[in-house]
Amino acid sequence: MEPPVLERLKAIDDLPTLPSVALEVLSLAHRPDVTIQLVAECIHRDPPLAAKVLRMANSSFYRRGDRQVETLHRAILFLGLAEIINITTSLSVFSALTSRRAVEVSIREQFWDHSVATGLMARHVDKKLQMRSLGREFVAGLLHDVGKIILDQYFHEEFMAAYNLSREQDRPMYETEMATCGTNHMEVGYYIARKWNLPPYLQDVILWHHKPSRAAFPDMAAVVSVADHMARAAQFSCGADTMPFVLADQDAWAVLKERGVDVNGLDVERMTFEMEAIGHQVKEYIETVMNPEEGGRRDG
Amino acid sequence: MDDRLKNPGPVMTDETFVLLRDFIYEQSGIFFADNRKDQLASRLAFRLKANNLSDFEKYYYLLKYDQNAARELRALFDSVTTNETSFFRSPPQIQAFQDKVLPEIMAAKERRGEKTLRLWSAGCSTGEEPYTMAIVLSQVMNGRRDWDVKVVASDISEKALRSAKEAVYGEYSLRSVPPEIKRDFFVAAGSSYRIVDEVKDMVEFQFLNLSDTRRVQLMRGFDVIFCRNVLIYFDDQVKKRFVSQLYDCLNHGGYLFIGHSESLHNISRAFKLVHFPGALAYKKE
Ligand SMILES: C[S@@+](CC[C@H](N)C(=O)[O-])C[C@H]1O[C@@H](n2cnc3c(N)ncnc32)[C@H](O)[C@@H]1O
Ligand SMILES: [Fe+2]
Ligand SMILES: [Fe+2]
Repeated sequence: MEPPVLERLKAIDDLPTLPSVALEVLSLAHRPDVTIQLVAECIHRDPPLAAKVLRMANSSFYRRGDRQVETLHRAILFLGLAEIINITTSLSVFSALTSRRAVEVSIREQFWDHSVATGLMARHVDKKLQMRSLGREFVAGLLHDVGKIILDQYFHEEFMAAYNLSREQDRPMYETEMATCGTNHMEVGYYIARKWNLPPYLQDVILWHHKPSRAAFPDMAAVVSVADHMARAAQFSCGADTMPFVLADQDAWAVLKERGVDVNGLDVERMTFEMEAIGHQVKEYIETVMNPEEGGRRDG
Repeated sequence: MDDRLKNPGPVMTDETFVLLRDFIYEQSGIFFADNRKDQLASRLAFRLKANNLSDFEKYYYLLKYDQNAARELRALFDSVTTNETSFFRSPPQIQAFQDKVLPEIMAAKERRGEKTLRLWSAGCSTGEEPYTMAIVLSQVMNGRRDWDVKVVASDISEKALRSAKEAVYGEYSLRSVPPEIKRDFFVAAGSSYRIVDEVKDMVEFQFLNLSDTRRVQLMRGFDVIFCRNVLIYFDDQVKKRFVSQLYDCLNHGGYLFIGHSESLHNISRAFKLVHFPGALAYKKE
């Protein structure tokens, strides 16, 4: 009998890696003496990445007004350090995880659609609930299911079995993954997040987004969980995971309530319709990251 | 067109607008806001003509005091309602109804040894919605005859109800009907299509004014209610009263569907909001 997936994963030596500059930028964020200069210099050490960040900052997605920003320095000034770190992280993750051994393209597409939709929705929810997570919620939303892409890449058969089981039996993926892989995308994602040395809040969200009450950063995990649900309700759901749900019965809801967030004041219906409306942004965002050159020039 | 420009018909004064607007609201819950005065005037122009009246004030008195007032009221309802509808409208809702809601309710009933289903299309217009419900229901039943099922369909417009009972539709009405459903549930009749009897007989039409609280109170024991694109015509006060009545019309475990992009936020807290892929529904626990 084969050893469990998690054991086999640990033995794989060509797991995707994040560019070292991305990790450095992430760690800079925690330094009290961080300056714009410091971050700009750091990103410049990876010229292709620097160019992409700049184009991204100029894409219709992030751009404020119609001024084109010419330098990374100005981009950081305009968008803020937090947002630049978010952009750097997202770009790095995308480039680390896309092109390689894409087996079932359509599932990959669904996966990224779901991830971006969750990121966008997390940003939206965060704003609504006035959580002020400074864009970190976007990155957390983008990465929460990263374990799925690892499973799909290295344990394709087992993962597809989980996927099909979820569709047939209308059960959540994390349950059917357990049945076919002996682990789930949260554990796998957590493993890779630690390997990549992602900041603690990201590791935490990746591990606990289906049970925010257990998280060390419960607010962030809860925001991402709500966003995850809303993305699925708007049919950005990875194909499986289409069970109906009552948002107010979710763990995330209880967490937010307990932490004094005014969830009852939240217009969930409107939020749902808004999610449907930001659907088109998902494609736009993906286009921009996958092909920053075009995205950047769109209305420039 | 030239004619209308030269002869725009009777003018509705602001006072008469308020009289008529309030009357319509009292009778039906349908509310014409101030910015819809012209719309109301153009809709009622026909009724003036039909009754040989020269101005709207006279029409108001006819509605209020004439011996034919009751009959004219029905014609008024026909004129002030919007009957826009289609088969399989808002497909994700229909999908949720078919894949999740009906199976869930039927499974719960079977556990209790019950085999009846009562569905209601409240504000059914020309019948596309209740027939869609019946088609889906008969698909889910898949030939089983041991269930006692019925779709009640009601509207305030007699004209719409007459056309619904005919169960005959043109090509255009069937534009979003999947081909295999067209094949199985419609029969060609000249250039039109007739709903097959098996489905037609499942639906029972009736005149019902949804703002008539005493009548609505008699509607009981429903498992699923579709009341889509109807609440938009009511103001908040009527919405609140009516939706709380709808809650009482449902069985425990039953579902209410309202129009896609309609909301009960600030209208009712009695229901559980359930998210389906691309659709919302309200559940009575
Ligand atoms: C736009 S149609 C919607 C038809 C269908 N439910 C759908 O979603 O396609 C609105 C219907 O509600 C009916 N209606 C409006 N006010 C009503 C009332 N007070 N009582 C009963 N029906 C009413 C109108 O006659 C009209 O047929
Ligand atoms: Fe997940
Ligand atoms: Fe997810």
